[in-house]
Amino acid sequence: MSTDAVAVVGFIVLFVLMLLRVPVGIAMGLVGVAGFAYLTDIGPALKLLAQSPIRTVTSGEFAVIPLFLLMGALASTSGMSRELFRAANAFLGHLRGGLGIATIAACGAFAAICGSSVATAATFASVAYPEMRRFNYSQSFAAGVIAAGGTLGIMIPPSTVLAVYGLITEQDIGKLFIAGIIPGLVAVGMYIVTINIIGMARPDLMPAGERSSWRERIAASKGIWAVILLFVFIIGGLYGGLFTATEAAGAGAGGAFIIAVLRRRLSGAEFWQACIETVRTTASVFTILIGALLFGYFLTITQTPQKVTAFLTGLGLGPYGVLVLIMIMYLVLGCLMDAMAMVILTVPIIFPVIKELGFDPIWFGVVIVMTVELGLIHPPVGMNVFVIRSVVKDIRISTIFYGVIPFIVTDILRLAILIAFPILAIWLPSRM
Amino acid sequence: MDRVMRAFELTAAAFLAAVAAITFVSVFLRYLFARSIPDAYDVCSLLLGILIFWGIAATSYRGEHITVDLVWSVAPPRIKRALDLFAGVLTLICLATLAWMVGTKVTSTLNDNVRTFDLRMPVWIFYFVAWIGLAATVILVGLRLVRTQMQPSADSR
Amino acid sequence: QDKPVQLKLAHWLPPSHPLHPAFEAWGKSLQQASGGSITFAMFPAQQLGKAFDHYDMARDGIADFTYINPGYQPGRFPIIAAGELPFIMKDGKGGSQALDAWYRKYAAAEMKDVKFCLGFVHDPGAIHSRNKKVSVPEDIKGMKIRPAQATMASFVTMLGGTNVQAGAPEVRDILEKGVADAVTFPWGSIPLFGIDKVVKYHLDAPLYVSTFAWIMNKPRYDGMSAKQKSAIDSHCTNDWVLKITGPWADFEDSGRAKIRAMAGHEVYSITPQQLALWRKAAEPLEAAWADGVRKAGADPVVAMKEFKDSIAKYNAAY
Ligand code: NA
Ligand code: NA
Repeated sequence: MSTDAVAVVGFIVLFVLMLLRVPVGIAMGLVGVAGFAYLTDIGPALKLLAQSPIRTVTSGEFAVIPLFLLMGALASTSGMSRELFRAANAFLGHLRGGLGIATIAACGAFAAICGSSVATAATFASVAYPEMRRFNYSQSFAAGVIAAGGTLGIMIPPSTVLAVYGLITEQDIGKLFIAGIIPGLVAVGMYIVTINIIGMARPDLMPAGERSSWRERIAASKGIWAVILLFVFIIGGLYGGLFTATEAAGAGAGGAFIIAVLRRRLSGAEFWQACIETVRTTASVFTILIGALLFGYFLTITQTPQKVTAFLTGLGLGPYGVLVLIMIMYLVLGCLMDAMAMVILTVPIIFPVIKELGFDPIWFGVVIVMTVELGLIHPPVGMNVFVIRSVVKDIRISTIFYGVIPFIVTDILRLAILIAFPILAIWLPSRM
Repeated sequence: MDRVMRAFELTAAAFLAAVAAITFVSVFLRYLFARSIPDAYDVCSLLLGILIFWGIAATSYRGEHITVDLVWSVAPPRIKRALDLFAGVLTLICLATLAWMVGTKVTSTLNDNVRTFDLRMPVWIFYFVAWIGLAATVILVGLRLVRTQMQPSADSR
Repeated sequence: QDKPVQLKLAHWLPPSHPLHPAFEAWGKSLQQASGGSITFAMFPAQQLGKAFDHYDMARDGIADFTYINPGYQPGRFPIIAAGELPFIMKDGKGGSQALDAWYRKYAAAEMKDVKFCLGFVHDPGAIHSRNKKVSVPEDIKGMKIRPAQATMASFVTMLGGTNVQAGAPEVRDILEKGVADAVTFPWGSIPLFGIDKVVKYHLDAPLYVSTFAWIMNKPRYDGMSAKQKSAIDSHCTNDWVLKITGPWADFEDSGRAKIRAMAGHEVYSITPQQLALWRKAAEPLEAAWADGVRKAGADPVVAMKEFKDSIAKYNAAY
């Protein structure tokens, strides 16, 4: 078999194994090692297992992932998400669909200190969903808003997906984070507009709440200083060049811990629970990372990335044509795969193409986050949707997907806007 | 069993807390006293390895690895069980091979006298502790496989 | 007819680094010498594994030839660490030949699980700092320094500084953010990695070199025909050391003049008295090296004498 054929067979076997529900990381690692063995020898391939995984898990720069996750877990455990929702509701609750708008605003603010979409969705499924139901919002709308709001978790910095993208492509994580700010705000704005449009078409889905007095608003906003302080601390530190990304993550986790303890919002048991949740997520992310790196060595010796680049750039579609093709591929993969797994699997192959086509690597990081973000909510597999389902027991998966549809439309529109106006992502980091 | 798992996760959580504390304290020492902790980078990296491998043990036992559920979720119970068996056995073989090879890495790191940069601590000890997590993973995945085959409902999450 | 083999040549430098074309030229020449039965593929930039793992990669056959820095793993290669001792060599070309000629004999024991092909050093580097001039050993106290190799790391610790670890591409970032105050680096690589944007003071004295080796997977060599083996052997010579490191040494050396010409940079030298202080401060390093060598079962007195003779022979002594 030629190396090209071996690479193609490798991909096919990989997808078959994944469909047979072999864990994604295990499937990638297995195909990677087996492919490497086929092209070299069994001995060296096994030795790959002795070297790569332990080197991957003991790479200091990867500590950025668990540390940002820990910050989000501590913030959520100590009630910061609830405070944000209360404050947002005091200001926005009287509008049509006000609780929905408040949920989006609170998700956006919480995303500023939480790096994970799934965590953001899970948090607000327990904080905001019962409230919306209490005021007779429809199930599908309430769940749809939370699923969409959850995606802000990886769009607005800090973001584990952007961090992993930066680690894989050796781009500055600080710059990537800063690049996500404006597109993240655009996302918040467009989601709110979407809710308004739904409200006009179907006012029965979402009653308006009572207008809060300014006194109530101020009272409700008292607690949000903690979130603002944390965000300014870490993102300001990154923007001003005071911290490396890992340091920002460590400082953020430490800061969230200290704030929670000072406010007496964190018991010993809650602290350890937050740590354990972080360990769980970290373990599942690294299982994929380990597998993807093993798979990557196989692809490297087949020279697949170079060949894919040559193929795609040789199609004569022009840079934007190729970009659209890549976006479509991501949307299809998003039907099957987890966001993080998708980024880890595809970026090593796609990134050389993007560079060859002359696109800005920081901008593409933001584009890819938006694309995989869509995968988090579109059917048949959408992690955010599943997480909401696991928190809210009395709802059908299909109901949530139905509620998400309008937001998918908005997301695609927003992706087109970002591609048409790269400046939205590039401008802020260029000022660093 | 749940208490064993809990102990495992708590240990991993303690390593995570240590990584966070070292990183946090390093930043403050740097800005307030212009000092740094010797071997902070090496120790953080090595502890990260330990917490991940120990975490993978717990994740594997609970069946919380990220999977593609497209086929599985629509399959009838008998097929589901067959898929679980197939994926479980394959996972077990892969992880056992991994644990074996990482084991050889532990011994070669010992024999090659690899040490940390500042304090010249032997690296193999950290690798060994991480390896314990992997070895436990293999045992736990085996246990889980037996359990899910005996009472399939345990995995109908 | 020789069985055709394709060799995987792996290193961890970016393709823009002067060693990359040098390895490529080496590979092409090898291909020719083998009558075309040996071909090669290059894997730069850690494509097949991390920098730290390149020795093991050659040992285990993950790649066939790899480029290693033995000083990345303190304690593992005690003998070749002689090359890392401060103020020994004044230039990279002669120094490389001297190291290679001297180390061949020891490589058989110290790097016994691989076939040693070439040994070399880079052009001497120095300390580059952000906001504090380092002129005497005393100045290191309290500084956070990114050392180039294990011996420099010991030196920093000994003098009361602390080490900060980072790969070459991250050095700029950690200096910019104040994670490190200074870095030991060869000259030409300072602008190559953009470090000139963040440091200001440059000590112009041959403080240190790093040692490197180009090594081969043993079973791969053993499985080759006599003609292929002789092609390999003819490319693992002291002459090839010069061909590989020559362009790199020139590149690093030219960096000094480049930085000197840059606005806002101060390149300063040290007085003989200051040099004497440095040499005195470095004495425990040689003692520690000798200890390591003794533990490895070799005679440090003999080894050091041979090493210094070799350096003198190639006219590279400082
Ligand atoms: Na975020
Ligand atoms: Na999806």
